Amino acid sequence: MKKLITLLTILSLIIVGTVSAGAVTIEMQAMGNAPAQLHQAWMEEKAAEFKAETGITVEFNQISWGEEMQRIPLAITTGDGANAMQVGTTQNPFFAGTGGLLKIDMIDFGGEDAFMPANLKSTKLDGTSYGVPWFAETRVLFYNTEMFAEAGVENPPQTWEELVEVGEKIIETHGEGTAIAVAGTSAWDLIHNWAILLWSHGGEMLNADNTEALFNSEAGVAAMKYYVGLVDKGLASRACAEYNQPQVDAAFINGDVAMAVMGPWNIADIRDENPDLPYAVVEPPAGPAGRAAFSGGSNLVIRANASEEEVNAAKQWVQFLTKDEILIDYTKNLTNMLPATKSAFDDPYYETETMKVFKKALGYATAYPPLVEWAEIEQAIVRNFNNVLTDYVNGDYDENTAKKYLDQAAEQVNKILND
Amino acid sequence: MSKKGLAYFLILPALLALLFVHVIPMIWGIVISFLDLNVRNIINWQSAPFVKLQNYMLVFKPGTVIFTGFWRSVINITKFGLITIISGYFIGLGVALLLNKDFPGRTIMRGLILLPFVTPDTVAFSFWRFIFRSRIGILNDMLKSLGIIQDNIIWLVGDRSLYAVAIASIWKGWPLVALMLLAALQQIPQQLYDAAKIDGANAWQRFKYVTFPYLKPVTKTLIIFNILWNFNAFNQFRVMLSENPGRQADIPALFIMRQAFNHFKYGQGAALSIVLLLIMLVFTGIYFYVFRVKSDS
Repeated sequence: MKKLITLLTILSLIIVGTVSAGAVTIEMQAMGNAPAQLHQAWMEEKAAEFKAETGITVEFNQISWGEEMQRIPLAITTGDGANAMQVGTTQNPFFAGTGGLLKIDMIDFGGEDAFMPANLKSTKLDGTSYGVPWFAETRVLFYNTEMFAEAGVENPPQTWEELVEVGEKIIETHGEGTAIAVAGTSAWDLIHNWAILLWSHGGEMLNADNTEALFNSEAGVAAMKYYVGLVDKGLASRACAEYNQPQVDAAFINGDVAMAVMGPWNIADIRDENPDLPYAVVEPPAGPAGRAAFSGGSNLVIRANASEEEVNAAKQWVQFLTKDEILIDYTKNLTNMLPATKSAFDDPYYETETMKVFKKALGYATAYPPLVEWAEIEQAIVRNFNNVLTDYVNGDYDENTAKKYLDQAAEQVNKILND
Repeated sequence: MSKKGLAYFLILPALLALLFVHVIPMIWGIVISFLDLNVRNIINWQSAPFVKLQNYMLVFKPGTVIFTGFWRSVINITKFGLITIISGYFIGLGVALLLNKDFPGRTIMRGLILLPFVTPDTVAFSFWRFIFRSRIGILNDMLKSLGIIQDNIIWLVGDRSLYAVAIASIWKGWPLVALMLLAALQQIPQQLYDAAKIDGANAWQRFKYVTFPYLKPVTKTLIIFNILWNFNAFNQFRVMLSENPGRQADIPALFIMRQAFNHFKYGQGAALSIVLLLIMLVFTGIYFYVFRVKSDS
């Protein structure tokens, strides 16, 4: 009994000691920007550095992109959960619309000029920033150099038309469905793949004042037909209709297909899962209207309904994460994403062949309109894109299918915009 | 403390838990269904405007995305329920009848049949997703090696997707049916069969007049549980077909989840849930009514 009392006394002293030291603990939540274990280890290492500097404890929690729409709202509405969070650039205005994110004065983070414009724009809702740009990403064409060589293809495709020609050579050598992998109905991010095609065909998502859908234009229809055509021509496997993006990535990383449109984070996946894969990257092929790229990435947001102490701690942590040396380490050595601060690009790493391609594509990349309703709009488009693919699988796809569903999506989007 | 007092005292914790876990959220759900609770007012939910029946009207106004999507999902789940409940019941019944016979290894078999039932949903349905995968799934491989198909079939998209999920759900559901029916079968006194035999009843007649009447009460419970479980089906569709299974296999639970949590239209989501609840009540009501009349006669 005596022993127990002594033990309890020691324990309570430790607890009291910790509390009275005024140590703040905050939670950081991010998505899988790198293979989970490496990501966790990196965050823990930096959290230890940060604690040594500030005395603040940071606990890291990784969630999947699919969970973003459930976990973040839960945290900001209940006031319980992560203090600093990663949000996708396309979702930042949406979460800002809830009123649960801290308003950000960019002066505290080095001023607006310090950041890449596309990322900065994505933090804003009605002129106010609700996030700090963290990293940027864009998708380019990855190709398997060995499969290209075996099929006698010397240069990677520069246009979407060339991609079909190259693809036909590849399937002659390697068999049907081996030229490229594309995402299908299981991909929540299906729209990103088609958006690149839409823009390079000269189309737009919405009009300039965001009041009307324009994606059902001729360019949109042509882009959709091209996408389905990749499967129909046998360049992509019919199984792609059921793929999500990780399945696309896996098909390329395993060496099953010769091409895939993927992001910079996949470089880390290749290094981790199949380091011997012979591959290179090239800018997204050009369409009739030139080249286009998707501007994505992530910002760091701070939950507003927390104690002042926690909010300040979270702000310090975000400042810490966006410091050049930390950000460069995170993007260069861990995630292969592109930093969202301009000064980080001075690092020679971004002059390597692969990163130069990403940097160049990012230069002309287009971002989705920053709207609170964007999540809903995106879903309406994805839903109808799913319908096109489903009709294809069912054998009901014809000349008019793409137009029919894009019109339907446009009608639904117009309703969302004008409600 | 009187006997009754003690009884109340003992069930109090359970009642309190029920109140907080079920009753209050349900009442709150009903309240929300009359509010325009959305992305812009979720933080100050107290100030969400009262919109009377507007959220409910959307479910009954033809031509809207909600009307089309929701009723399509209800039709899909009804189809799914009919297939899984009926097939699951007959498979379970067949296995129960077999296991009721005396043979060596019967006890082990009784344990083994529970495996699908005790496998966690996510694990089991992930496996089924792999089985049905078009390019690398073993189902297509098997069908091809048997010469039944030439090209890979796509199971998880379009018309076939609902059936793929139904097959997986039947596999997961029949063991419980078998177990419960087996328990009922073992209650039947052997004398009844002997008497029936003496009266010259054949095997079918013995099943119809002796076995089945004993299985009726448990069948009634099983079917009502299955109707409720199947109408609320979520895991198998979410795991096998993703959050957005497409129009051939969309189901109410996923449709409502997307509406409420991905679009942040909590008011609409709550109204849809309540409409679903009413539909289920109607189904169970009809079922109980039909069953009651039959058993009386």
